[in-house]
Amino acid sequence: MRVIACGLLALVLIAGDAFVMSAQQSPASARRSFVACPIVRDTRTQPCWLAEYEGELYYLGQQSGVANDFYPPQLRHEALVEGTVGQGRVCGGIPLQPVKVSVMRELTPACSTMLPAEDGIEAPPPIAAPRGPAPSWVKVVAPGDVTLYFDFDNEFFSLHVTVALTNLAKHVAESKASHVEVTGYRAASRLSNGTVLTERDTIASIRARKVADTLAGLGVPTGLITVNAKSQAQPADGVNDPWNRRVEVRVQ
Amino acid sequence: MHPHRRFLFLFACATAGLLAVLRLDAQTGSSPQPHTAWIASGSRQTLPREMVFDNTLGRLGVLNVSGPIDTAGHPFFEPIGSNARACVTCHQPANAMSVSVDSIRERWRATQGRDPIFAAIDGSNNPSLPQDAASSHSLLLNRGLFRVGMPWPPRGITPEFTIELVRDPTGVNRDPVYGLTSATPTVSVFRRPRVAANLKYVTSPDGLFNVKLGVLMDKDPDTGLPSSMNIMADARAASLSVQAQSAYHDHQGGQGPLPRAQLERILEFEKQIYVAQVWDTRGGSLIEQNGPAALGPANVARHEVHVLNGAKTPGFHFFDMWQHTSATPDPQAEFRASVARGNDIFLNRRFWVKDVAHINSIGLANPAKRTCAVCHNAQTSGMDLAPGWVDLGTTNFPTWTESPVWSESSDLPVFKLTCRAAAPPHPFLGRQIYTSDPGRALVTGHCADIGAITMGQFRGLAARAPYFANGSAKDLRELVDYYDRRFDMRLSGQEKQDLINFLGVL
Repeated sequence: MRVIACGLLALVLIAGDAFVMSAQQSPASARRSFVACPIVRDTRTQPCWLAEYEGELYYLGQQSGVANDFYPPQLRHEALVEGTVGQGRVCGGIPLQPVKVSVMRELTPACSTMLPAEDGIEAPPPIAAPRGPAPSWVKVVAPGDVTLYFDFDNEFFSLHVTVALTNLAKHVAESKASHVEVTGYRAASRLSNGTVLTERDTIASIRARKVADTLAGLGVPTGLITVNAKSQAQPADGVNDPWNRRVEVRVQ
Repeated sequence: MHPHRRFLFLFACATAGLLAVLRLDAQTGSSPQPHTAWIASGSRQTLPREMVFDNTLGRLGVLNVSGPIDTAGHPFFEPIGSNARACVTCHQPANAMSVSVDSIRERWRATQGRDPIFAAIDGSNNPSLPQDAASSHSLLLNRGLFRVGMPWPPRGITPEFTIELVRDPTGVNRDPVYGLTSATPTVSVFRRPRVAANLKYVTSPDGLFNVKLGVLMDKDPDTGLPSSMNIMADARAASLSVQAQSAYHDHQGGQGPLPRAQLERILEFEKQIYVAQVWDTRGGSLIEQNGPAALGPANVARHEVHVLNGAKTPGFHFFDMWQHTSATPDPQAEFRASVARGNDIFLNRRFWVKDVAHINSIGLANPAKRTCAVCHNAQTSGMDLAPGWVDLGTTNFPTWTESPVWSESSDLPVFKLTCRAAAPPHPFLGRQIYTSDPGRALVTGHCADIGAITMGQFRGLAARAPYFANGSAKDLRELVDYYDRRFDMRLSGQEKQDLINFLGVL
């Protein structure tokens, strides 16, 4: 799977939060948050990923690699889709951009729709992997002030998170830091239909502990690390919810 | 004559244990046909730098880059444990440093089942069965499978799932001494020995993280450096040293630690050995000058490790010189063109890779429209540069290789694994899984790892059937057929043959 990861090894420590800001500034009316079966559409080039909500088809993104910001969903699982409505149509759907797609944990065998390639429906040109931190996954304010983002109810480290943690461990060593504070958060997500989904109550500590253990595995002395978990779910507003599923790391 | 084209031909009389080394011109193939060249543990001889062994598709070349080796007193070849086995018992040069079912059957016939390869502890279906009956060794004789007993639960781990035994054709998992309810609870699964050659490709670490799962790599306990985690089928050994120590105890009945000096000699030998096919019965010499750069053990030995498959660095280099057939009928040219087409399918044919845990569950989409070479992405070996354990589906119902009517007929044990409510389920099979081998999950206790097996290298395939870790594909056609069915690849008959020919010359 290294083929998918190449190109990300020389990440630079630049705050890449344009995506975050864009999402946060979008009014709720321009947002779509829903849980649905994803749909994959074949094309002459790369498959497209779509999802239907209230009779409308939305474009989520295209197949790429784990060095890209967009991680596509999975058939056999529902997906939580949180995005901002864009213009026009892409691959037959209204684009949600930016968009965050979380694979729901339990199986839903009914999620199995594969659409064949059709004349006139093409995937957009491939999107290059970000040169800095991928905004869906990492925000770097400073080398010692980093926020890591997660899918709903999930503690999986994307490739971008592993790179950020490697850089953090390096920074701790080089700066001769005396303290590393790791704070995990639990979140909720307000759907467009008003339903609120809340993550499991242990997720904040699971995320924080995993980050702390990984930093320790990368050589950060455990005595420097303080682990906090905010187990009360952050209030859901239907706009900023993806950014509450996070772990903050502060190096002093 | 180019040195790479000249090999020595090792002829062994298996019944008498005599070896006669003859010269072979690999390009012309003018050589006597050898018998199975079995090297028995403790048979003292000098193995030359280059050896060639016949197999059903042609000839395998074995290269020891350090030159001839005297097996007398060498811990890879001498029985250093308590059951008369040596490392070589299950890692035979003639079988690409694994062991084929044909060789195993020949040993049964030649020794009436008394060869140490049939040792009760893991060379039989169940150590408690009568050991003189062939039926007690049916998994080894029919599928080349050795018993692997895994402690359950894994030491220091609270598993995410429970295990129930629903079918136990060998009786070993219910055995009062060796089974799940014994004093040392053990899950027995059955696996093929992996290739102890070309190991620079197998042990090459990928980095600090397993980029597929987003977790830190295990570390080599001797060096503290990240492991490749590609050595064992379940990645339980973080280094060749750990593997050798474990094999000394588990397969050879060794007591106490393997002495350091012996361990070092085993590791040194393993790292010197390269295997690859050198001759094909239809394609002729595979190691001609200006021929494909992937072929033959000398090429395997010289190439760089950890090179990612790509347009400029294709998985098995280039086969352009074999692409064209001649105007007049030429079976050799036609075969070579078929190999080149097989390579092209391997590199470029896209199909829907679907429901493979640790491929489709790591941010790459399910399904993902990919090629063989995306997963088998390590140039020259065909492994994964990242840790290669995935649930291809060979061991888990319903895509497994066993009978769909497992309740009536199954060679292998069948386990029912139930994931606890708080744990993440297997990404594509959910919370209740029937499996003949939980694979990596027996090490980690993770539901997501159920059925995940580390992919093996592609080299010397012609010499070491059957294939897959559970020995379910008796030849390359069955291997290709499995992929064709599993991923609905819709390969034509010719395309299948092209892939078979391509795999067969590696």
